[in-house]
Amino acid sequence: MHASLPPIAEIWVYLSGSPLLALILTLTAYQVGMLTYEKSGRNPLANPVAIAVLIVAMAITAIDMPYPKYFEGAQFVHFLLGTATVSLAVPIYKGFNALSGRMLPLLAALLGGGVTSVASSVFLARLLGADPAIVGGFYAKSVTAPIAMGVAERIGTSPTLTAVFAVSTGILGAVLGRFVFDIVGVREWWQRGFAIGVAAHGIGTSRAFSVHPEAGAYASLAMGLHGVLGALLIPVFVSWFS
Amino acid sequence: MISGLVQILLFQGLGELLSKFAVPLVPGPVIGLIGLLGYLLAKRSIGASLELVAAAFSQHLGLLFVPAAVGVVVFLPQLRAQALAVVVALVVSVLLTMAVTALILKALAGSGKDAR
Repeated sequence: MHASLPPIAEIWVYLSGSPLLALILTLTAYQVGMLTYEKSGRNPLANPVAIAVLIVAMAITAIDMPYPKYFEGAQFVHFLLGTATVSLAVPIYKGFNALSGRMLPLLAALLGGGVTSVASSVFLARLLGADPAIVGGFYAKSVTAPIAMGVAERIGTSPTLTAVFAVSTGILGAVLGRFVFDIVGVREWWQRGFAIGVAAHGIGTSRAFSVHPEAGAYASLAMGLHGVLGALLIPVFVSWFS
Repeated sequence: MISGLVQILLFQGLGELLSKFAVPLVPGPVIGLIGLLGYLLAKRSIGASLELVAAAFSQHLGLLFVPAAVGVVVFLPQLRAQALAVVVALVVSVLLTMAVTALILKALAGSGKDAR
């Protein structure tokens, strides 16, 4: 051993004390997820977010890093969710032209989809005997994660659980969307995009963008509108339900 | 790139302030979104820089979800115990939501101008 080189344990302690390790882990995992997604020919089953979450979860479990410790570093990525939410104003603004011609169908679909999302998940979870704490995570799950977490805090349910359900919903929507739309016979890109944006927010929107630009534009419009509407209406909805 | 980011951050900051002191029921970023949207509608154009930043965010939105979603490890024991309820509720709900939304659009747009 060279005396000038610090022992590996010391490097490890240094790295795990800084946000760098969590950031490297998060971004590398996402990169692997993206590469896998591209390699698979953009197969919806190879969702990059799901792959990244799986890799990070396994990695922090393997190196015994508690979640709060990981989050301390990864919060810099997480913080940008709020910024990304604000930037949704841009696709909504661009979609406004479309909205003026299709105002009624889009708003009706948004309301119908939003209510279906909350009512069906809460009803099913209760029916199958889930704890109230778990059920609480379902209220905002179809709303984009940063808004969902804000809503969760305000209605007194766990923001983490809400985020987990929101992301799972996003992944499921991105994976299953194509099959659902084919089965119900909806073929227009704008309709498919809007529906996946309402149901599966950001992850559905990334998926929609990677399939077709028109679908992506409508998906981000849907995600933005659902975010705004959800933030305003879900707290009201919850007070009816409970 | 930078001026677009500055605009977004300013509206986010404004939104956080308003959420904290005026309308606590609405999350700050949502107020920021509404503010930026109002600004764009008033100005009737999007700067190239803002457009670039917004495009970057929407393309890689997925990355930003990762830290929160890894929180699943904390809830793993609870979720495992109620796996059936959770999985059924998640899967059925997302299927229904997509089907209902798409079918409403199809039904209401059928008579519209967009019949191809």
